[in-house]
Amino acid sequence: MSKPLRTGVIRDYDVKSPSVKVGLVFIYLVCFVVVVVSLFPIFWVALAGFKDLQEYVSSTSIFPSVFDIDRYIRTWTQLNIMRNYINSFYAITGSVLCALLFNGLLAYGIAILKPRGYKVVNSLIMFSLLIPATIGIVPLFMNIQNLGLGGFFTPLWFAAGANAVFVVLFRQFFESLPSTIIEASKIDGCSQLQTFFKIVLPLSKPIYVVVTIFAINAAWSDFLLPYLVLGDGQWQTVMVRLFIFSTQQTVTADDLMRSVVFSMLPPVIFFFVFQKQLTQNIVTAGIKG
Amino acid sequence: MLSSPSQLPAKGEFMDKQERLGERSYKWIYDLKSWLIMLPGIVLFMFFVWGPLLQSVHMSLYKTRNIELVEFVGLQNYIRVISREDFTQALLNTLSYTFWSLLIGFMIPIFLAILIGETLKGKGFIRTAAYIPNILPGLATVLLWKAFLSAERSGVFNVILGYFGFEPMVFLSQSNLVIPIIIVTATWKGAGATALIYMAGMAGINPELYEAATIDGAGIWRRIRYITLPAIFNLSSTMLILQIIFIFQIMYEPLVLTGGGPDDASLSLMLLMWRYAFGGNMDYGRASAVAVLIALLLLVFTTIYTIVNKRKTNWDM
Repeated sequence: MSKPLRTGVIRDYDVKSPSVKVGLVFIYLVCFVVVVVSLFPIFWVALAGFKDLQEYVSSTSIFPSVFDIDRYIRTWTQLNIMRNYINSFYAITGSVLCALLFNGLLAYGIAILKPRGYKVVNSLIMFSLLIPATIGIVPLFMNIQNLGLGGFFTPLWFAAGANAVFVVLFRQFFESLPSTIIEASKIDGCSQLQTFFKIVLPLSKPIYVVVTIFAINAAWSDFLLPYLVLGDGQWQTVMVRLFIFSTQQTVTADDLMRSVVFSMLPPVIFFFVFQKQLTQNIVTAGIKG
Repeated sequence: MLSSPSQLPAKGEFMDKQERLGERSYKWIYDLKSWLIMLPGIVLFMFFVWGPLLQSVHMSLYKTRNIELVEFVGLQNYIRVISREDFTQALLNTLSYTFWSLLIGFMIPIFLAILIGETLKGKGFIRTAAYIPNILPGLATVLLWKAFLSAERSGVFNVILGYFGFEPMVFLSQSNLVIPIIIVTATWKGAGATALIYMAGMAGINPELYEAATIDGAGIWRRIRYITLPAIFNLSSTMLILQIIFIFQIMYEPLVLTGGGPDDASLSLMLLMWRYAFGGNMDYGRASAVAVLIALLLLVFTTIYTIVNKRKTNWDM
């Protein structure tokens, strides 16, 4: 007997029945629709970016009359999107570093060091998972203003260092590390901090990859707090700029579509480069969380 | 790693009083050092998460001017906020968002996971394609849908309507359609990623279970009903509460798509909070009152969820 091909509900022996065969055709049809629905809007916006305003507003065809890449280039240079790309890069770099360091150390304390009273911190973090972060955005904004921290990335960087989801991801991973190794490093005379950087960190690369990916994505996509913090200043990220475009109608519809494409391009490229890590790790992280 | 712990003298075996004291102070220093390691993270959580939550409660009791607290007004902010018509509207809308998101957003990923799980050829491709909307920035996808739903003849949905000979529609001005539309766009973004999580959960099912069930005479539907669905039950109840929390903070979707319109028909509680604070009024006191009310509602939901969930698991035992 050959190795069974199907691992789902429908088994190889089911496929002999004609009604199951029809069912399978139906499944593939639905999946085809899913693929089209998922991808079509992305292709559509990329193609719409090739249209000029006149064509964008009036044409009912998906395809532009000419594929003129100059229109993209013109929007890119006229709106100086490059500057926003660089700003987003700053925002991401600082956020990722803060996310890894502060959440990692906090989780290390909760999962491994466990000083007296650590459970209080753990419950507070679990509690903050249940309350959307946006709820406190008004007082947070006021505090940032009061401290004179508005206008630059600092609050955004440090905000990434207080992410309950990241702490929980780290904590679950650290808890799965063999305790004997940590005991051993203690006996070998490592301090708590040394144990973290020499033992725990090198053993935890997978979770660091996951949190890095999440943090990059969050820092790229976030715009509410960045908008409040960076405002109209010189440090606007791509998403802040896009948000301002969309609310203040300062750009034409075709430029807006091209800006949307510019904002989607880096995540898409990032996805295809790190596809494997993304789908694998995020699923395992999701299951655990 | 040279000596196994068992070879060391057991705790307290050779300890006189002095050493025991030493151990106690050692423990004390250990705790202190550990707390110092956790301190930066705790400070950040206080500043960015816990502090603002408490401050919301505090601020909601004050009359505010700009970023200053002017005077203590008790529950007046709450009374003012609740007595206005837009609050009732926003509350009902938020419940409507929740209803639609449970109807559409909760079921579709489960269907998707089962369907994609039954494919052989092209499974990887289908999975990737379904996941891609999730990697796009939320704001960009909302703007994308705004263009799709444009009232112009060139809006994609109106082009499609045009093919079938219908007149163009102003989709986002239909007050009874606007919430389901927003939920559909959010589902488009999230369903593939959620389906992936369910698929990972289903991958843990031992295939022999299905075979044993077949021998017992179970058809495909009954295998789904009695094997697949129970296997992802816990996962789905987690996803359910996460989704409710997520949908309660729905804000930028209506903000960008409709501005809360038409006639506040898509105004969510969170958007109401945003309006009070950043919509030109800068009324941070009332904005905080709305925030506290949202938090209370969520607490009620999660408590109900925990109680119901506990009872369910008890039955299972």
